[in-house]
This record gives sequence, structure tokens and C-alpha cells, in this order.
Amino acid sequence: MILVPMLLIVLYAFTRKGNDVTTFLFTLENFKKFFSDTIFLEVLWRSLRVAIETTIVCILIGYPAAYFISKSQEEVKMRWVLLITIPTWINMLVRTYAWIGILQDDGIINSILGVFGISPLTMLHTDFAVVLGMVYNFIPFMILQIYTSLTKMDHSLIEAASDLGANKFESFLRVTLPLSLPGIISGITLVFLPAVSSFFIPKLLGGGQYVLIGTVIESQFLTSGDWNFGSAISLIMALIIMVSMYLTRKVDRGEQSETGVL
Amino acid sequence: MKKLLISVLLTALIVSSFSGCGSAKSKEAIEKYGSATLKLYNWGEYMGENLISNFEDEFGVKVIIEYYDSNEMMYTKLQSGESYDVLVPSDYMIQRLISDGSLLALDKTKLPNMSNLSDAVMNLAFDPENTYSIPYMWGNVGIVYNTNNVDVADLENEGFAIMKDTKYKGQIYMYDSERDSFMIALKALGYSANTEDDQQIQEAYQWLVELNNTMDPVYVTDEVIDYMMNGDKDLAIVYSGDATTILDENEDMSFYVPEEGTNLWCDSMVIPANAENPLLAYEFINYVLTYDASLDNTETVGYASPNAQVLADVTAEGGLYADNEAYLPRMNYALDEVFEDNLVLKQKLAELWIKVKAAN
Repeated sequence: MILVPMLLIVLYAFTRKGNDVTTFLFTLENFKKFFSDTIFLEVLWRSLRVAIETTIVCILIGYPAAYFISKSQEEVKMRWVLLITIPTWINMLVRTYAWIGILQDDGIINSILGVFGISPLTMLHTDFAVVLGMVYNFIPFMILQIYTSLTKMDHSLIEAASDLGANKFESFLRVTLPLSLPGIISGITLVFLPAVSSFFIPKLLGGGQYVLIGTVIESQFLTSGDWNFGSAISLIMALIIMVSMYLTRKVDRGEQSETGVL
Repeated sequence: MKKLLISVLLTALIVSSFSGCGSAKSKEAIEKYGSATLKLYNWGEYMGENLISNFEDEFGVKVIIEYYDSNEMMYTKLQSGESYDVLVPSDYMIQRLISDGSLLALDKTKLPNMSNLSDAVMNLAFDPENTYSIPYMWGNVGIVYNTNNVDVADLENEGFAIMKDTKYKGQIYMYDSERDSFMIALKALGYSANTEDDQQIQEAYQWLVELNNTMDPVYVTDEVIDYMMNGDKDLAIVYSGDATTILDENEDMSFYVPEEGTNLWCDSMVIPANAENPLLAYEFINYVLTYDASLDNTETVGYASPNAQVLADVTAEGGLYADNEAYLPRMNYALDEVFEDNLVLKQKLAELWIKVKAAN
């Protein structure tokens, strides 16, 4: 049952329009269409770029946050984790709409700036707004993954490192960081995947002109009605994601065997 | 035997007095229409606040309402075999339903209030004789502009091409829909909004790409109402009904409809061929055409009424929309066109439209 929709997408991707149940017209036309038009490749690149930016920002903010939480006292810890989880209880769409109100030309931020006599900034419908929206929505996944791997870590290893003469920075770099790498990696997958295919965050915070690959797929299904082309793009995306997951796994394993040597 | 008969009659009486709110009236309704329930499928937030309750009280019936937010959604539901008594689709969708054979040809003798309708909304291209459809709301597409920052002379000289005037770079909202955006480009170039000519469509595509690359536009849909009420930008493509709301809230804003023509749209009431209660459907449509119901509709929703007297009264001196430039759509203007249903064209434009937006 889980596989049936997936198989249908593959089937759609390799067939032409106007099939009925009995006859299939197989074709590579859909893939050709994608790769022959530079616009689609540009959109693909833009989507990857936004997703990578989002992931990097999530790591840069998420890692220190997770580290800080894992170092705090037991009850404080639970409070922090709760605080990070609470926003995910509310529908993502609603939270994204809230950001419109915050970023708008006469929104909350600009009203506060106005009090200090600073002229309003245009934030809505920019790259900044889109990355902000994505980071906001996806960062809990990153923090929780890293946090879990940090708390599972055996603290005697750090004591051992300092016994062997490593200072705090060295023991972080050579013990804590490598051991939390699996957390970072699964955090990356959990942030990168939804970021690369999201379509309503760019649509709402970036405006309709902020076309990402998710938007193109959506429009193939909802407005152009070309399910075959839409399926082909989805399949290309799935391939890219599978390859990138394979690569990150490989990095992960490589690092783990290294730490084993250490 | 006699006892049995009496008890059956008695139960029937009890049941009928409990079903429906006004027993005598609903019984009357069942006798007259065959059933006392009407199934209505309409757009969300598209009815006068008291319209349904008044209709229910007056005729002793119950109205079951479902809502849709796009013609396509309504169409899919109908295709799946669902039965409704009254629908309110837009022009091009009515055309599709007619060609599918899904609509009932109307018996006009059951709709005496049709005489209340303004002739500007009658006999439009999608249903030339109003054989199947009775207008519900109508309007057009134009430009909402900030009177403090936009020179009216520019609007008058350039029409829709003002959206490409670099004087207003970064100050425009476009409507994020292929059909509406191509309509603007085609009209600005002097072509028909329903053209199937590839050369003309390509020119319109170039027009839109140029706009996209030089003007820094933001493409929005319904959010435009909020943004323009706040005065975030100076120019926006807006449906006249939504423009009415914007102009009500922000007095700096005004509305302009270019002389090169625009899209005229009309949502109309129809009775599907598989309606279970067509007699009551006629009664409902006829009721919506009354002065009071039409007034309630237009006052609540802000879209133009098809009722001639209501139109005249709300736009007359002292009327609710007397000072609102957007409320009353331009009437009987040859260059204003209704969209024709054309799935092939729609798909072609949708494909080009995503390319326009991705072009920057």
C-alpha cells in the first residue's frame, strides 16, 4: 500500500498523457523537457541553494543551542526541549502566516523600528524572508537530533580526554563533535528534505515570483494539469535526494570508523 | 385494521410535525416541491448574512449548504456523482458544464423575477440566451492605485502597460494566475483575451517576462486585499469586488479600468441536470433575484449585484457604494471580454506562466 503511490509516480513519469488503464505510451519526453529548458535547471539550482542555506543556518544556530541545552540542569533541560517542541504543535501554515504579519512593511518589526525613527525595511517577499521562514519551521528537527546525540554521549570519554591532557576546546573538537556527528547528519536530512521541496513557505513569504522546484511540481498538478511532467520532476528530485542521503551516510560511516581508531 | 391505520396516521402526523421547523409550512413545501430540503453548493463568504434564514422562514424549507473555493473543486465534486440543487459557478465553468450536458435548461416561466436583472449581465458569451444560467454576482479586473503616488495621466495614457512603467518599479502587485496575467498582457497588446494564436501568445509571454525582469513585481492572490488596504505598494491588479473592499478601507486608494478592455466575469446560478429538487431550486433562484435578497447579498459581499434596481440604488447619491469607484463594473463595453472555457489554452498559459515567474 505504501508503494502503490510511488509506483504510480514512476509510471506517470515515463508515460505520455492520455493513457487509459490498458495501454501505456512510454516516453522519455518528460525528462527531456526538464533538462532541455535552462529555466527548470535554474529553478532546481535555486531550490538546492535555498535548502543548503537553510540547513547551514540551522546547524549554526542549532548546534550551540543543543549544546547549551544538553549542558544545563536536568529540569531546565526538559523545559527547553518543551519550548522548542511547542511551536511544532501548531500548524506550519498558520505559523508562516504569522510571519507575514511580523515582516510586513507595516508589520510588527517595522512598527518597532518606527518608534526609534528608523524608516521601514522591506523584508517580506525577499530571500531573507524565505530562508527565515524555513529555518524557523525546520530548526526544531535539527536541535532535537543534535541534542539527543549529545545526551546519549558517554561523558567519561571527555574526562578521559582531559586526563590525556586535552584542553576544553580540543576535547570538544576531537571527542564531542565527532560523536554528535550522527545527530547532525540526521538533522541535515530532516531539514534539507522538507526545505528543498517546500512550496508554501516560498509562496507566502517570497511571493508568487519566488519559484522553487516544489512550486513547479505543484503547478504541474494543480494548474497545468500535466501530471506526467510533474511526476518526472518529482522523480528527479527523489533521485537527487537519494544520492545526497547516500553521500551523507558515507561521510557518517567514514567519520565513525575514524573515531573508532581514536 | 382500523387501529393500525389510526396509529400509522398518528405516527405520520407526529413525525411530520417534528421534521422541519414550521410544521404546517414545511408540509406545504413538501406538497409543493416534493421535498423541503434544498442542497446549495456555493463559494465561501459569498452570501448575504440573512439570505438563507429568510428564505427558510418564508418557504418553510431547510437549506443545506456546502462551500468550495475554486470552480475546479466544484467541478470535481460534481463529476464524482454528488447531487446538488443549485450551484454558482463562474462563466467559463458554466460553458464547460453546458457542453458536458450537466445542466438543466431553465424554465423561465418559473423565474418571474428575472425581469429584475440588469441587461448588462444578460446574454453573455458563455450562455448567450441565458438558457442555463442566471447571474448572481459580476465584476471585472482593473488596477487599484494609490492616488498620492500614481499620476492618473499615466494610467490613462498607458492602461495596463503602466505595470511596465519603470517609474513604478518595485511598487506593483501582479495577480498570480495565468489566465488573468495573460489577459492583461494580451489586452495591453491589443489582442483578445481568448486568443489561440501562438504568435500573439508568444508576444504576451515576452511582455510578461519583460515586466518580470524590469519591474521587480510581487505575485500574490487574495493577500493583495490586505496589502493594498495597508498601502504597501502603489499599483495592483485586483478584481473589482475585492477592490471595492480595499477602497472602503483605505481612502488613498482608487480604481481604474483601462480603455483597452479587460476581463468581465459573471458567477451565475445553475441547476444541475441531476438535481433532486429542481422545483425548490427554481424557487430559490427566483428568491435571490428579489430586491431584498439581492441587496443583502451585495451589501455583505461587496461584489456588484445583477439586480438593476439594487445597482442603481447602492450607487446613487447617499447609497452604500456611491463613492466607491470600484463597485460598479463598466457596462456594455465591446472590448471587455468574458473568458471562454479552453482547457488546452489554459494548460499552455499555465506552463508559460511558471516560466515567466521563474525567469528572474
